[in-house]
Amino acid sequence: MHRFRNPSLARSLRVIGLAALGTLAQQAMADTTLRVGLGADIRSTEPGVNRDENTDTVILHVVEGLVAHREDASVGPLLASAVDVSDDGLSYRFTLRDGVHFHNGATLSSAEVKWTWERYLDPQTQWRCLPEFDGRGGAKITAITTPDPRTVVFTLDQPNALFLASMSRPDCGGAGILHPDSLAADGSWKAPVGTGPFSFAEWKPGQYVRLARFKDYSARAEAGPDGFTGNKQALVDNLRFMIIPDPSSAKAALLSNNVDLLPDVTASDAQELKALPGIRVSVSPIMAICGLLFQTNDPLLKDVRIRQAIAHSLDYGQMVTALSNGLSQPNNSAIPQTSAFYDEVAKQGYRYDPDEARRLLKEAGYSGQPIRMIVNKRYQQMFDMGVLSQAMAQASGLNIQMETLEWGTQLERYQSGNYQMMSFSYSSRLDPALGFDSLMGDKSKEPRKVWDNPQAQALLREAIRERDSGKRQVLFDQMHKMMIEDTPMVIIYNGTVIGALRDSTRGYHSWPVAKPRLWGVSLATQ
Amino acid sequence: MSPKPSCAPLAAPAAAPRKAPRAWPPANALIGATLLMALILLALLGLLWTPFDPLRIDLLSRLQAPSAVHWLGTDEFGRDVFSRLLIGARTSLWISLLAVSCAVCAGTVIGMLAGYLRGWTDRLLMMFNDALLAFPGILMALGIMAIIGASQYGIVLALGIAYTPSVVRVVRGSVLSLRELEFIEASRVIGNSELYTMFRHIAPNCLAPLCVLATSMFGWALLSESALSFLGLGVPPPAATWGNMLASSRPYIASASWLGIFPGLFICLALLAINLFGDALRDRLDPRMRK
Amino acid sequence: MLRFILQKLGMALPTLLLISLMVFALIRLIPGDPALLMLGDMADPQSLADMRRNLGLDHSLVTQFLIWFKAVLSGDLGFSISTREAVLPLILERFTVSAGIVLVAVLLATLIAVPVGLLAAWKQNSALDLGLVMSATLLLSIPSFWLGLLLLYAFGIKLGWLPVVGYVSFGQDPWQALSYLVLPIVTLTLVEVGAITRMARASTIEVLRLEYIAHARAKGLSESAVLWRHALRNAFAPTWTLVGLILGNLLGGIAVLETVFTLPGIGRLMVDAIFARDYPVLQGCLLLITFVYVLVNLFVDLLYPLFDPRVKL
Repeated sequence: MHRFRNPSLARSLRVIGLAALGTLAQQAMADTTLRVGLGADIRSTEPGVNRDENTDTVILHVVEGLVAHREDASVGPLLASAVDVSDDGLSYRFTLRDGVHFHNGATLSSAEVKWTWERYLDPQTQWRCLPEFDGRGGAKITAITTPDPRTVVFTLDQPNALFLASMSRPDCGGAGILHPDSLAADGSWKAPVGTGPFSFAEWKPGQYVRLARFKDYSARAEAGPDGFTGNKQALVDNLRFMIIPDPSSAKAALLSNNVDLLPDVTASDAQELKALPGIRVSVSPIMAICGLLFQTNDPLLKDVRIRQAIAHSLDYGQMVTALSNGLSQPNNSAIPQTSAFYDEVAKQGYRYDPDEARRLLKEAGYSGQPIRMIVNKRYQQMFDMGVLSQAMAQASGLNIQMETLEWGTQLERYQSGNYQMMSFSYSSRLDPALGFDSLMGDKSKEPRKVWDNPQAQALLREAIRERDSGKRQVLFDQMHKMMIEDTPMVIIYNGTVIGALRDSTRGYHSWPVAKPRLWGVSLATQ
Repeated sequence: MSPKPSCAPLAAPAAAPRKAPRAWPPANALIGATLLMALILLALLGLLWTPFDPLRIDLLSRLQAPSAVHWLGTDEFGRDVFSRLLIGARTSLWISLLAVSCAVCAGTVIGMLAGYLRGWTDRLLMMFNDALLAFPGILMALGIMAIIGASQYGIVLALGIAYTPSVVRVVRGSVLSLRELEFIEASRVIGNSELYTMFRHIAPNCLAPLCVLATSMFGWALLSESALSFLGLGVPPPAATWGNMLASSRPYIASASWLGIFPGLFICLALLAINLFGDALRDRLDPRMRK
Repeated sequence: MLRFILQKLGMALPTLLLISLMVFALIRLIPGDPALLMLGDMADPQSLADMRRNLGLDHSLVTQFLIWFKAVLSGDLGFSISTREAVLPLILERFTVSAGIVLVAVLLATLIAVPVGLLAAWKQNSALDLGLVMSATLLLSIPSFWLGLLLLYAFGIKLGWLPVVGYVSFGQDPWQALSYLVLPIVTLTLVEVGAITRMARASTIEVLRLEYIAHARAKGLSESAVLWRHALRNAFAPTWTLVGLILGNLLGGIAVLETVFTLPGIGRLMVDAIFARDYPVLQGCLLLITFVYVLVNLFVDLLYPLFDPRVKL
């Protein structure tokens, strides 16, 4: 390192640095570019097919569906101006907005909607959400008709309270409406031609994805953005998602003004970044389900008293404060705190009571047999949750041993149910019925399911069919109580998403759905 | 860090003093030996005593800077860094030692077989060995860790396997050059079995190059352990090694620099000690030196 | 000469075949399932089965290997499981990034280390020698990623002279490319300077003891003439072998530095492929790396006589 004391070398280094910055500054004058850090590359540019979280994030800036989630995670119209549901719940009539253009200049009509949906419903497309619409997971779409260019009617074979919610799921690509130009002549995928505020420009695998502002975007009439819908006007010329796999590098990039925004930083990084001049953070609770899973078939853990002892040994307040740096509250319920269904009943969770834990353990005849808990280092938050749980449970006489696995291996153990305990996190499900559904099921058929209780399963089936929210509330409350009783897992909290941004980035905020939205975001000239 | 090429210390003969042998060992050997002793003592100390329980989590005193209570500060879980360094010394040095021993044992047996039996056995073994050598060591270790799961002994096995081919190369080379020598021939002529000849006469003579290789491998093992931790497949926490302490200090490089500085410094010192010690060993053992 | 090359390449073929078999077996021993990783916690049995079928993972291992191997023979390395890109162009692109950095760094390191090693050998056992040897050993002892991190922190964040993430290829904009590549190259150079200096010193000392040097000295040649004209050339031969080995090894080992500096190189690609169980990409990368390793060694062997006239091919 001493070599750098050489003044002439240092000078030339500085010149190089300035030259680089100079180039960037010039670009910024001519063309505003918002640079956003992404933790991993996208998988494809095709909505809801070969995708992951980052793919969804990028693609939802390019395509739009008929409906989308609002800020409060309820569903509202997006490309549609109105949605009318028939009284029997079997027919959905979407009226399209006027003057919506695709990126290739074509005007949106019911024909493209029908074409897009028929493509999604074709098994060849491999749309990940097909099971929600072909009768396997929910209702089946029996017909899509277009009475006129502004109207599309979907007909179902049975009522489904989740129909619109499934349509707007981010992991389904929001069922984004595409122009047939998105495909090559041979029918293979080319690039998305959608109606979103940004059009797809360039993808350099491993480096960045660039989107360009869509000049003919027709924004909705609302005053501002509202979740994935509302007024989604783009305010920068270019959007550059930079792939930065390492969180520390990402942080360094933000500090040194190489990116403008990191949509997802860890709580401890946020703590540090917040204190620095020129950096702000935007925090929001999310709807993930984070906690400790038990294998209820395990010889030791099949005893509900041991599972409850673990639940009572954890100091939830202190743990969640440490995990989120004081940004989140504990929640022992599968109903996320931000959900409209989170009520007084759902707030009744486990009590931190080491004496009770010790009493239960004694009653169950537990004498320090080791319990192996799987954790991973890929997701820092899952790892920390495991470390803290182990330390706290130890105070009540529980002998939990951590086994750190690589994420891919842990996922396989999860899928096959081959574990005693694991620290795990379910990604956001925007409706409590979907949340419960991911936890519940018949273990002999689907070993990944954590909670196997036929009685609760019946309640869940009812909640999926039921459209009246008052009645659904009653069902969810019942299920929550049963789950606390059974303790097939200990849900600890719902996680937080923390965006970190430079002061020059205006108009960005995090929200419960977690995915960053970069329309309505502008860059102040420095 | 990629393993440094194996034949480096051997391809080039030792630095030999031009003058007559001096009475005192050279300065670098002294420095190396002293450092090494100090580190081993530290590791032994860690076995007997640490100021705090290295695994005890104390959320109320997270990320504290070095102070009179916590000499080298605390980490993100409020654990005492000095205590973890002491425990980590033992784990890191032990892992490296075991990994090198595995490689040396396996490599010696395979190398001697290949070198002594020659013919098809040799050709087959060497083809396999060359393939392994061409395989990037750190990736091999990463793959093996992914298969058997990250644990202390997983890393020993992974590094052991990754380093075996270098040992095979060196041992086979020595055996090939030795077996034509007169005293080996003599041993065979007087009716000693092949096996006896091999272990009684050939093995001891491979010792010098092996010792030199083993010291450098010890250094690579220390480096690889930290590199594997850095890539996400090292010795799993909460156990402490210098490597995983250094790797997990990464997010705090700006805010809590002591978390990375001390383990990094210890890895550097250990490697410095090993390298200097290895140099001295090579000077002593190189047969050309004894002439 | 040509015969030698062909012979060497011919010998490499079984190695390559063996490598591809080993890689194929090894990576499939890793627990985990690419289809599961792609679907995550939302995987249901039906979509999992569909995904496996689409990826061709429902065949037996032997069939999978034969399908892959047949394609490789016709120059087709298949498609990435994660991004469905064609593997060959993908790995070639990433390879150029890594190879550029490694080549420049090793070249710089050699240019610095050989004269320094020569100097140390010439002044053997002096304070200067001890100082140089200690510095070289110290450089060799720093974990490369730690050094990289410290440099990144100092020049990227504290001083703000250099960008900390990103990559621009040299063809696109040389100045910008340089600003991104300075730190990784400097890091790698510093670490390798240690190794090469030690080797250059040792082999020079060896050469200086030989008779013909005494001869040259006796002829009354100046010490610097002896050193530069006679010692350097001969001492460089073993160093050259080391440089070749470093080149070959670095291509696989550079993953850590590419992670620190967020470079789209082949090391990082391989590590990501292990984590994503992206079998085709990993197989392709390792095949390429091994091939390059063989080529580099061949190149080193071919050039060896240039430095050591005693060796004939």
